[in-house]
Amino acid sequence: MHELSIAADLLRNVLAVAAEHEAVRIEQVTIEVGVLRQVVPEAIVEAFAMLAVGTAAEGAALKVTELPARAECRRCGNTYAVSVDVYVCPQCGQADARLVDGNDILLQTVVCQT
Amino acid sequence: MKITVIESVLKANDAVARTNRRRMDEAKLLAVNIMSAPGSGKTALLEKTIPAFDGHLRSAVLVGDLQTTRDAERLARLTAQTTQINTGQGCHLSAAQVAQGLDSLDLAQIDLLFIENVGNMVCPAGVDLGEHVRVALLSVPEGDDKVAKYPTLFQPADVILLTKVDLLNVLDFDRGRVRDDLSRINTRAPLIELSAKTGQGMDDWLGWLAGRRAERIETAV
Repeated sequence: MHELSIAADLLRNVLAVAAEHEAVRIEQVTIEVGVLRQVVPEAIVEAFAMLAVGTAAEGAALKVTELPARAECRRCGNTYAVSVDVYVCPQCGQADARLVDGNDILLQTVVCQT
Repeated sequence: MKITVIESVLKANDAVARTNRRRMDEAKLLAVNIMSAPGSGKTALLEKTIPAFDGHLRSAVLVGDLQTTRDAERLARLTAQTTQINTGQGCHLSAAQVAQGLDSLDLAQIDLLFIENVGNMVCPAGVDLGEHVRVALLSVPEGDDKVAKYPTLFQPADVILLTKVDLLNVLDFDRGRVRDDLSRINTRAPLIELSAKTGQGMDDWLGWLAGRRAERIETAV
């Protein structure tokens, strides 16, 4: 249930953005989640809704889209797409991947009323 | 009003992790993040690892658990520098919790800092604590299919320990399957087979650890 701690960080970020823009109510939040985070969208939506109760984000819709993963090969320097279960470099055949994308969680947009 | 933000939600954790790493760099210690399922033998491994370095390298432990101080009580017998971090509902250690833990230790008196993460194969893997190396454990009773099932734990590992190998002759466990799965997930980390109970393979693990510690000293100079 790492979604709970991610949702707590997300809510903190969202409320900070809303406060910056003097928003009174947050209607929608969109995030991009790296596929390697293994975030279950339903779980983060639920955790966010629970934590948002009593804040300006109460009742806000959270939209989650997945970010694909990319890696750089430590052996040959090639950059390539990886999936959660395969990290083999197509150029040299080694699985010595330094992850470039796919681990981050990005807050994209906040829709709010001011 | 639609506000476009595009910033990392994890930036708060990652910033604290960078501070942790800098503090531990300055103290010239090697920070080792140990991750596995509950019951893979993380604490038992440390119970054999810490005394093996007695008089040579000074160890300290930050140990994370949802509840109880049982692991800390076991490890406090071996090093006075042991701090239990109870995460409550949290399924992994965070960089901020480690930062608090570091405050409770005398970093100048530590060569090896073991951070025993909360037993969990998914949640701790994506969270940077500021460690220098990552250790992933897989115990024989868990089954030979776990590398493929939990790739994100094993992919970033710097060393993978197959623990409780004294049970290989009583359980159906195919070591070939583990190696085959690792060929797709992580060919960089050495796979060390060991048993903390019998001592088999412990020298390989201790040697690996001493090697990383020596590298750290070199880069710190």
